[in-house]
Amino acid sequence: MKKYKILTGLTLISLIAVFMLSCGGGSNQITLRWWHFWTDPVIKPVIDKMITDYEMANPGVKIEQTGLTWANGHEKIVIAFSSGTSPDIVELGSDWVAEFSYSGNLASITEAVKNDTAQFLGWTPGIYNDSIYAFPWILGTRVLFLNRDLLTQAGFDEKFIPYNWDDLKQACFAIHDLADDIYGFGSNAAEKHRLYKKVLPFFWALDGRIVSQNGKYAVFSSDKTYKALEYYKSLHDSCSIVDTQRRLEDAFLDGKIGVIISGDWLLKRIRNENRDINFFTTIIPGPEYPGKSFVGGEYLAVSKTSPHKDEAIKFIKYITSTENQLIFCKANYTANPSSREATRDEFFDNDPDLQVFIRQLELSRMTTPTPNWVYIEDIIETSIEEILFNEAPIAETIYEANARIQELIKDR
Amino acid sequence: MINRRFSGYLFASPWIITFGFFWVYPLFYSLYLAFTDYRLMHHTYKWVGLQNFERLLADQSFLLALKNTFIFVFGTIPITTVISLILALLIEKNFKGRAIFRSGYFIPSITSMVVIALIFTNLYSRGGYLFLLSEMIGFSPPANGFLLSNKTALYSVMAMDIWMSVGYYMLLFLAGLKSIPKELYEAAEVAGAGFFRKLFSITLPLLKPVALYIIVINTIKSFQVFVEIFVMTKGKYGSTTAVYFIYESGLNRFDFGYASAAAYLLFVIIAAFSIAQFSLFRRRTVS
Repeated sequence: MKKYKILTGLTLISLIAVFMLSCGGGSNQITLRWWHFWTDPVIKPVIDKMITDYEMANPGVKIEQTGLTWANGHEKIVIAFSSGTSPDIVELGSDWVAEFSYSGNLASITEAVKNDTAQFLGWTPGIYNDSIYAFPWILGTRVLFLNRDLLTQAGFDEKFIPYNWDDLKQACFAIHDLADDIYGFGSNAAEKHRLYKKVLPFFWALDGRIVSQNGKYAVFSSDKTYKALEYYKSLHDSCSIVDTQRRLEDAFLDGKIGVIISGDWLLKRIRNENRDINFFTTIIPGPEYPGKSFVGGEYLAVSKTSPHKDEAIKFIKYITSTENQLIFCKANYTANPSSREATRDEFFDNDPDLQVFIRQLELSRMTTPTPNWVYIEDIIETSIEEILFNEAPIAETIYEANARIQELIKDR
Repeated sequence: MINRRFSGYLFASPWIITFGFFWVYPLFYSLYLAFTDYRLMHHTYKWVGLQNFERLLADQSFLLALKNTFIFVFGTIPITTVISLILALLIEKNFKGRAIFRSGYFIPSITSMVVIALIFTNLYSRGGYLFLLSEMIGFSPPANGFLLSNKTALYSVMAMDIWMSVGYYMLLFLAGLKSIPKELYEAAEVAGAGFFRKLFSITLPLLKPVALYIIVINTIKSFQVFVEIFVMTKGKYGSTTAVYFIYESGLNRFDFGYASAAAYLLFVIIAAFSIAQFSLFRRRTVS
């Protein structure tokens, strides 16, 4: 019995000691929880190294990473914010920032970053009601990829570049006429979140807008939208193959398509798969040179409930620094930094394809940040699908879409 | 005695607690949500009465989804039922290699729906085997494949669903056929009845309970069609269905109040159909 009591006493004492030690030892230690989407085996070690360096330079801070996937990351973030278990720092897609800031889940970082705005690109999606809620990290734009061999076979000289819509159309039609299984243009199928991004560049090129600058009126129904859709439909109907983005890229790499619109992931793929294709990239043309493209991006935001907001902002500034963005781009072989200084680095200057992406970044536009974007995107995508795949008349379709967008804006 | 009763509840408690928390509570909570404007992440919400239901009935996307669901139900159930009955009648006969046919027809039913949907996505695409086959037999397929056309997307998914389901229902019909007493057929043969006479006077009337079960189960399953649409078309090309609409509203836009209202509307429709089917069959069986 006595032996039993001693044993119990010793266990209690050791438990209390462990508890006190753990409390004492961790009193100055801050753990920042960071959720992000960069889990691929090439980039993960790069980010791990950045974090290790940061922790060594800031001994009181520990970064705890959680990897998300694009397939269900949005759902996980929404659930975390709803259940009060949000991380301190979260990576958000450009279309999501307004949704999270509108619902009061993000901390305003305006004061902390107002002096950085001139040095970074892509602030638009991070701003809501004149406050900054998210810091631009990785941007992503789309450019034209063209098969040089097919162009040559179609009679274009070796220096040909489509400078305007007429050039592009001429090239697509000429390539399309080469053979039955060769197609001029790769037109996207009705894939959610993808199709509208391929049509918007033609719309942006005409300076078209979806919502007025003050966010109060839907202005989608305009002659600019009409002209852009009319042009895209002419490519779609007369010289295209229609398929999903992945299959269009496969066909392009197999030399079956002359022109497609794609992102820098395709450059990476061509390099990783060592594909033997004579291609070049160029900026997406407008009716007159130059045109515009769609740009989205990945943003870093701080949760409103984070007890370590200052430390979180300090870490965001570190991870988005010019130096780290360049390390990231070099490791990933992409050209998507938000840092203006990074865009001027010789790494991009020395690679003509990456340089095209950098140039296109400057000639790109983002969608207007609005909490209702998921619904607006759906309306735009549905109307484009109706016009392209269901022969719906353009004018009536965009007029109806405009009315529906206006209803949504009015509701808010 | 009290202890025995208590211990009974104690042993059943894991199931009761799970059932309560994960079935009963969400069931009633979602009913409540159907009358609110609850959206995930918005920390406040209010009672809106029937507003969600009114919005649903004016929503073109929901009406299209509902129309497609009805097309799916009425398009697949009769064909699935008839084909599975024919297969059961054929398989029941004693012939060499019967087991191979029986297994062959049943295998799609035990294969993952996602796997089958992915295989069919390729078969239906431009250059896929079904695409090429239809060209060979002189039927011109849609230029970009069956799933990338408003005219064929939904029907292609329905065709796959029929192919996948017939094996399972064939097995149920087979079990029903086995339970019919052989004496009835012998007596009919003695009386000079032919194949069709036996089919319509003995086989089909006695298969009614099995047929009712198959139709009710298949109706409920077809009203809830989701995985096929999710994998093959993502609701595009006019192929969206009611459950896919609920998924989009709830888990894509997090409009939980609206999604709950759509789910309860679908529940009412399925319940009404099931009751109608039971009463119809019962009346006919009694008469």
